[in-house]
Amino acid sequence: MPTGGVFSGSVNLKYVKLGYQYLVNHFLTLLLVPVMAATALELARLGPGELLSLWRSLELDLVHILCSAFLVVFVGTVYVMSRPRPVYLVDYACYKPPASCRVPFATFMEHTRLISDDDKRVRFQTRILERSGLGEDTCLPPANHYIPPNPSMEASRAEAQVVIFSAIDDLVRRTGLKPKDIDILVVNCSLFSPTPSLSAMIINKYKLRSNIRSFNLSGMGCSAGLISIDLARDMLQVHPNSNALVVSTEIITPNFYQGSRRDMLLPNCLFRMGAAAILLSNRRREARRAKYRLVHVVRTHKGADDRAYRCVYQEEDDQGFSGISLSKELMAIAGDALKSNITTIGPLVLPMSEQLLFFFRLVGRKLINKTWKPYIPDFKLAFEHFCIHAGGRAVIDELQKNLQLSPRHVEASRMTLHRFGNTSSSSLWYELAYIEAKGRMRRGDRVWQIGFGSGFKCNSAVWKCLRSIKTPTNGPWDDCIHRYPVDVPEVVKL
Amino acid sequence: MVFEQEQEEVAPGAVHGHRLSTVVPSSVTGEVDYALADADLAFKLHYLRGVYYYPPGDVARGLATKVLKDPMFPWLDDYFPVAGRVRRAEQEAAGGEGDAGAPRRPYIKCNDCGVRIVEAKCDRDMDEWLRDDAPDRLRQLCYDKVLGPELFFSPLLYVQITIFKCGGLALGFSWAHLIGDVPSAVTCFNKWAQILSGKKPEDTVLTPLNKPVQGQSPEGVTAPRSVKQVGPIEDHWLVSAGRDMACYSFHVSDEVLKKLQQQQKGRHDAAAGTFELVSALAWQTVAKIRGGDVDTVTVVRTGAAARSGKSLANEMTVGYVASAGSSPAKTDVAELAALLAKNVVDETAAVAAFQGDVLVYGGANLTLVDMEQVDVYALEIKGLRPVHVEYGMDGVGEEGAVLVQPDADGRGRLVTVVLPRDEIDSLRAALGTALQVA
Repeated sequence: MPTGGVFSGSVNLKYVKLGYQYLVNHFLTLLLVPVMAATALELARLGPGELLSLWRSLELDLVHILCSAFLVVFVGTVYVMSRPRPVYLVDYACYKPPASCRVPFATFMEHTRLISDDDKRVRFQTRILERSGLGEDTCLPPANHYIPPNPSMEASRAEAQVVIFSAIDDLVRRTGLKPKDIDILVVNCSLFSPTPSLSAMIINKYKLRSNIRSFNLSGMGCSAGLISIDLARDMLQVHPNSNALVVSTEIITPNFYQGSRRDMLLPNCLFRMGAAAILLSNRRREARRAKYRLVHVVRTHKGADDRAYRCVYQEEDDQGFSGISLSKELMAIAGDALKSNITTIGPLVLPMSEQLLFFFRLVGRKLINKTWKPYIPDFKLAFEHFCIHAGGRAVIDELQKNLQLSPRHVEASRMTLHRFGNTSSSSLWYELAYIEAKGRMRRGDRVWQIGFGSGFKCNSAVWKCLRSIKTPTNGPWDDCIHRYPVDVPEVVKL
Repeated sequence: MVFEQEQEEVAPGAVHGHRLSTVVPSSVTGEVDYALADADLAFKLHYLRGVYYYPPGDVARGLATKVLKDPMFPWLDDYFPVAGRVRRAEQEAAGGEGDAGAPRRPYIKCNDCGVRIVEAKCDRDMDEWLRDDAPDRLRQLCYDKVLGPELFFSPLLYVQITIFKCGGLALGFSWAHLIGDVPSAVTCFNKWAQILSGKKPEDTVLTPLNKPVQGQSPEGVTAPRSVKQVGPIEDHWLVSAGRDMACYSFHVSDEVLKKLQQQQKGRHDAAAGTFELVSALAWQTVAKIRGGDVDTVTVVRTGAAARSGKSLANEMTVGYVASAGSSPAKTDVAELAALLAKNVVDETAAVAAFQGDVLVYGGANLTLVDMEQVDVYALEIKGLRPVHVEYGMDGVGEEGAVLVQPDADGRGRLVTVVLPRDEIDSLRAALGTALQVA
């Protein structure tokens, strides 16, 4: 227990803050208690006889009573019917790549050296890899193990089949899902879009129903996973008693950049194989075994701003090689997009105490003193767990700073980046699997998933945990969770 | 070092369509360094090249590249130094001017960089290829690379998978002698085949770790007679012989062996084994085609007794034999064999302790290599035994080398000579009579 001086000042402040939060957040309860106490006293004072005469003086007959009852039932039904259908996340499965796809740092650097004579390019990629936050276990598809890589359409399809079908098979094993029970199918894969689509590939492989509602989202970047969840949720509002299968992935094979432009070399170093299959449902009976319930999805699109639109841009370089260029302003734009997203999601999830503080500080800045810093709401009060898209070390660092999160809150994101690399839209699911594998997910916990992607988009999803998740979870972390968390050095010496 | 797609003119019947990829250990090795013993460094300029031929058929057809590659991942977990790369030790901090000139001691950084796999095709039938008996066919079936000029990025092992037109398969291993001697290499390959066939191989013993510096001989001492000093070698670990060297294999049938054994009956020192007899025959033939001047030979042998049980080690004995007085071209095979059996001067320790860079094989003298106790035909892939195995060597000096290994049925011997290309034809002619059964 800290004593004296500086410490007692901060301890006092902490108690003041706690008291304030308790007061504001339970304001209604605190108001109601004295009112109820007063009413109870009054009733007790009146006594039963007086109450009965009060009742008779109202002169209610059968018609009045029936009408009132009818009114109550009518209002109740309208209320229940107009509530949105709950969307349950029954379970999800992440693809675990085999050891034969593993790419250690040394191999990646050696291949880079053998493919290109450009010394500067090799040194640049070495520097990126050293600071990337990736580990030695990340995986690339078989075509990328060749010198030079072998990006044919057949190889891309083969990768898509392996990752997607493995994830779906795992999901079927966990949930007992039958193909004929899938009513809605949403697939997102940004950079590989063959004809017939990947959703058609799934329908063909699993012999899904002919009246299935399938969607294939391509080109929507790393935040497309949450866009698919949003679409599935909307579809589940329209279709009662349905199951939706959402598949998020990114196919690496066709996207190896063969040129030397620095702003395009980053994806080669960071993107890795991964896929996730998620089962959503609005059926009442799934509520019993579902893991999570979807509370909010908030999508923010900054594409109207030219800088944001061009910050992640796929184009051809001077030699004709196609690649994705990342602008230097990426972090600033991501911060902006996040602020917009927070502005929308804040009122939905933050407790009243934080919202009031934010409001007063905002008023104060406008009216009293412009130099006051804006109040950053404490999202740790609204959520127990955070899943930040593992886009790269810089993204996680930036968000940790902006949201004032502790290392433990961003641990899931950092460890996913280390073990699996940047798996694009499916990374949020690997992070959730990490939290579960660590045994930290308890009933009632709220999870915030934040995805960023080209456009520039920032999407959020809020989930509430419906049952405590027991370990081992039979997920992608099972064989290595005991090694985590690891300390990821700032710079790995290659 | 840019790899273009194969678009150049392909000579008919040549091996073409090379595609390179890499195989790594299946789990992370971590920050481990494998120290190289002095004996290892003595052999660093040599490269073992072994080819295994498998007949066409259903089994060979089922051996897709993935089937061959998948067991390599757990195999490299056990043999993780083979997947590493050569590095030089860090410079001593604040070293004086005197240290700047001496090259730093190499070691293996076990960074999981991996083993290179080469897939290639040949438009000829395997039978035709084998019958052709072309010199240096080994070089086409084993990827022809050495350590350096960039040691950082040079694999210690290449495995080439060549598919012939008839469906036959050739597996070519290019192994840096630095990491292990012939028995180590062959045991290592056999373990891979055991994993492929679903058997659990014996444990790999990589401890105790090599102690880097054992009794070094002082500077200024001349090299032992068995070897030739070269260099100093920088980062390209190959001493190119002035003349083009080629490998050539010939078979010594068991009838010829019996004839040779008969020849030494009646001698009071008839102690020579098959290795001594066969290599004596080769010694005599090479002496004949060179017109004398092969008075001393270096002998490298696998002594089972001398092995420590470590899975990766250079533990072959190195010694020399001087022919007493008379020229070997005119001496009886039996007499030469007796010399090889009795008069070997062992210099293994001296070679290891010598501080400079040396050429062991073909450096100072013609080198005779005993591979009799090495079970090369045990590399069975899914029950399919190789029909033919030949082992040659790269980085051999101009004096040449002779490798004696068992043949397919174990009764005869297969001899591979590594000689300057222009001596091969003379050798063939000279051997013609010697290999005929009387």
